[in-house]
Amino acid sequence: MTISRRNLIKSSALGSLALAMPNIVRAQLTTLKVVWMGWPDNQVLPLMAEFEKRNPTIKLALERMPFQQIFQALEIRLNARNGDPDIFIVDSPLTASYASRGHLMELDSIIDKKRFAPSGIAAASFDGKIYSAPFGSSMQVLYYNKDMFKAAGVTPPSADPASRWTWEQLVEAGKKMSKPAENIWGFTFEQQERPYQLLPMGQSLGGTALSPDGFKASSYIDGPAFVEGFTFMQKMYTESKISPPGQFDTALTPELFGAGKCAMMVAGTFVFDTLKTKFPNLDFGVAPHPYFAKGKPVTPTGAWHFGVNARTQQKAAASQFVTDMLSDDMNVLWYKLRPYVPTLNAVWEKEASSFTSDLWKIAKYDVQNTAVPRPATPGFREYEDIVRVALRDIQSGANAQQILTAAAQKIDREIAKYKG
Amino acid sequence: MSHRLSEGLRYTLLVIIAVILLTPIYWLVMSSLRPADHIFRFSGNFSIETLIPFAFTLDNYSQALQSNVGRALFNSLFVSLTTVICGVFVNSLAGFAFAVFDFRFKKLLFVLILLSFMMPFESIVIPLYTLMRTIGWTDTYAALIMPEVAGGLIIFLFYQFFRGIPREIYEAARMDGANWWQIYYKMTMPLSGPTIATASLMIFIHQWDAFFWPLVATSSERLAVIQVAIARNMTMEQANWGAFFASASLAVLVAMVPFFWLQRHYVKIVITNADR
Amino acid sequence: MFRHPWAPYAFIAPAFIGLFVFRFIPIGLSGFGSFFSENLRGDMVFVGLKNYAELMDDPSFWNTMRVTLIFNLIINPFQICCALALAMLVRRPSKFIDVFRLGFIMPMTVSIALTSIIWSILLDPTLGPVNGLLRWGGFQSQPFFRSEHQALETLILVATWKGAGYWMIFLLSGLLAIPKEIDDSALIDGATGIRKFISITLPLMKRPLAFVLVADTAANFLLFAPVYIITNGGPNGATQLLMFEAYQAAFAYINHGRSMAISTIILVVVLLIAMFELRLFIPAEEEQS
Repeated sequence: MTISRRNLIKSSALGSLALAMPNIVRAQLTTLKVVWMGWPDNQVLPLMAEFEKRNPTIKLALERMPFQQIFQALEIRLNARNGDPDIFIVDSPLTASYASRGHLMELDSIIDKKRFAPSGIAAASFDGKIYSAPFGSSMQVLYYNKDMFKAAGVTPPSADPASRWTWEQLVEAGKKMSKPAENIWGFTFEQQERPYQLLPMGQSLGGTALSPDGFKASSYIDGPAFVEGFTFMQKMYTESKISPPGQFDTALTPELFGAGKCAMMVAGTFVFDTLKTKFPNLDFGVAPHPYFAKGKPVTPTGAWHFGVNARTQQKAAASQFVTDMLSDDMNVLWYKLRPYVPTLNAVWEKEASSFTSDLWKIAKYDVQNTAVPRPATPGFREYEDIVRVALRDIQSGANAQQILTAAAQKIDREIAKYKG
Repeated sequence: MSHRLSEGLRYTLLVIIAVILLTPIYWLVMSSLRPADHIFRFSGNFSIETLIPFAFTLDNYSQALQSNVGRALFNSLFVSLTTVICGVFVNSLAGFAFAVFDFRFKKLLFVLILLSFMMPFESIVIPLYTLMRTIGWTDTYAALIMPEVAGGLIIFLFYQFFRGIPREIYEAARMDGANWWQIYYKMTMPLSGPTIATASLMIFIHQWDAFFWPLVATSSERLAVIQVAIARNMTMEQANWGAFFASASLAVLVAMVPFFWLQRHYVKIVITNADR
Repeated sequence: MFRHPWAPYAFIAPAFIGLFVFRFIPIGLSGFGSFFSENLRGDMVFVGLKNYAELMDDPSFWNTMRVTLIFNLIINPFQICCALALAMLVRRPSKFIDVFRLGFIMPMTVSIALTSIIWSILLDPTLGPVNGLLRWGGFQSQPFFRSEHQALETLILVATWKGAGYWMIFLLSGLLAIPKEIDDSALIDGATGIRKFISITLPLMKRPLAFVLVADTAANFLLFAPVYIITNGGPNGATQLLMFEAYQAAFAYINHGRSMAISTIILVVVLLIAMFELRLFIPAEEEQS
């Protein structure tokens, strides 16, 4: 027996409600309902205002949700399956998940692939078609506290990607500056438990995080490369004690670094501005993301895209939104408001003058040479959640192989449902 | 044990408990007064500065007020107070019925009442949202208020209290020719000061704390409630702890007002009744 | 008990309409939904008891049941004893007692989400003032939420921090309602005080205690925010409560059938325990009078 959920609920709701309130009267203009990330006002509003200026007949009903709840709230809205919201933020690895469940509109006809970096298009595609709009990308770099290095007499890492530090070098340096008893640490990841941050540990040793078809984790995430990579990570907390354990709040780790309690931190390019404005007295430098000596450099990437609801009632207006947002000057405006690593090639050229700093030279090099996006699978939510829990447990000392094998089995079980 | 000693012991315990219960709130407010780079500077290593901020600023508050916080406070107050007024009325009526009458299906209906507050909210949120969409209430104050007016727990609260009123009082009133509405309205409710106060507090706090449902059910800025406004300060790459603590402190301070107000009247009513 | 042809129904009507529309219909749909499985396109397929069978076979679900039951077995009596102790302490009017009564209910003004965030920072191994204080006093800093041996206990304490004052209100009004002539002594008064407490005060507190017990049980079985915000069920499943498992099933594993099955189980368990608790406190004969 198959029942369409919407009909089931509709009939029972209407059946028991004798008095139904009248529907809200629709506006005269075309209104697009947009669910966006809760980024600060001064970064989002100018962008949206610019769009409305260019399109006087389209009004944007903008809703910004806090990061912690955005996925869940979107799930509930999308579950109602009626075209609300018209446009919504899509974390790039979720493209496959939303697309396979019929929530995203195909964008091949309105996006010109050649204008974008290949990794951006790859992150936006599912089953050979583009489903989300590549709006930006991300890159991680190594921040270090110049004063702490000087005080300990350690030579800081160079900003040249050709001579980037190895993880082994980082641990050695960290040990010299770490004083756990006084709450001073050598190193921390910005995101201590997220696959986004930590998969490169295994990928640098040659590991692949998931089967190419996106449905099998066993013998991939629990292979020797990841076991070795994550065990190395574990030892930073348990043996060499250069990292403060249990810092899972990504809003707190930059505070640690900024307050001078941690000598090194691998974090997003984004943190640069935060550090500069919040901690003006902090003397810090940037270096490329480390790698394993016997492996190759791998850096995390992937970003906030946005997508069009497959059931939108405003197809034309929504397509216009996509086209405008991805236009050269709108994308440059977005970059200026919120400096993400660009996926649109034009932005690199147009804003060349702002890319001269160490930070951007490193970011540009890595995004074009060492970046590996997260695995593409419709079951990404499940994958990420399960690996996250595994990483937490590994950090606190559990046996990496056991944890990863159990996680891989769980992942396989959960993503099997997308095969049908 | 001498009276002096036991009093001393009592007050010592009171102070210790008060410290445990109030320090986190104190810390919250103090943190909101610190400049951005000082917020966590003194939290890890204990010193006098951990407790008292030497560097003092109202920047965080001005930031918070510039964003939507003022409107959000108004929304939450409006929603909470409206739910309190409707809720006290609707639920006390039901509690009265269960306490005073015997009627067909009473046992079954009572079990249903219990059931209604035992259901995990996260599991009814999806059908509830779809329901809201169907009747066109998404993005309205109605969506925030109506689902929370009738509450099994409050009905149960009134029921327990009303059960304690002696039967003779009702019999006398019936003999005087009063109808049940008059008995409820003129006799029982006036006696129920403390219970009404408690119910009001519970409903108010429940609505004041509301977060996930308002996030899902409403989308416009003009309807944002305070907890959502607070949470919005926590973005992925760039948490504004200062504004977060400032708006959270405002939420806590505003929520304290009904307590202060009720506290004065509450104890008076209870003591008067107890001395009956 | 009185009888009347239509008055009782008129009185309960407004509340029941509200409950029916906004609670029972969604609950019903949810329970109904537990017998279905949703395919990718959103169509529901009837699978009978498959979701429940899968849960029974899942060792992690049994772990969750175990953790949840242990949690509730400890926290419910603990919270109520704390609330009762608080109520007894502030019961007798004396100097400044008003201040203390108010102070004790202040944690109610902090939402559970905010409470979770604040305590998560306060108890943080590195940035937390509590550990800072411990270190300053010469003690070792504690992992609290980051250790599988301390996480559940810490959760109980944080939940009690918020809840004790809340439940105290009901118990206090119960205590204050006890007529003066019957009970005139303070909490700490020696052996006579304790005997008086057990044989006189407690029996008179049956109704408030019953109310608090049932309501607290429901609240604790449904506890979600601290697990979601602080521990995510960890470390290593130590705080994996049923409510969080239901949430994960729906929003992480996009398996709504499974989520509704877990929710229905929670509902049934809480209902059974609540009815048991009511029986315990208010024997059947009293109900019928």
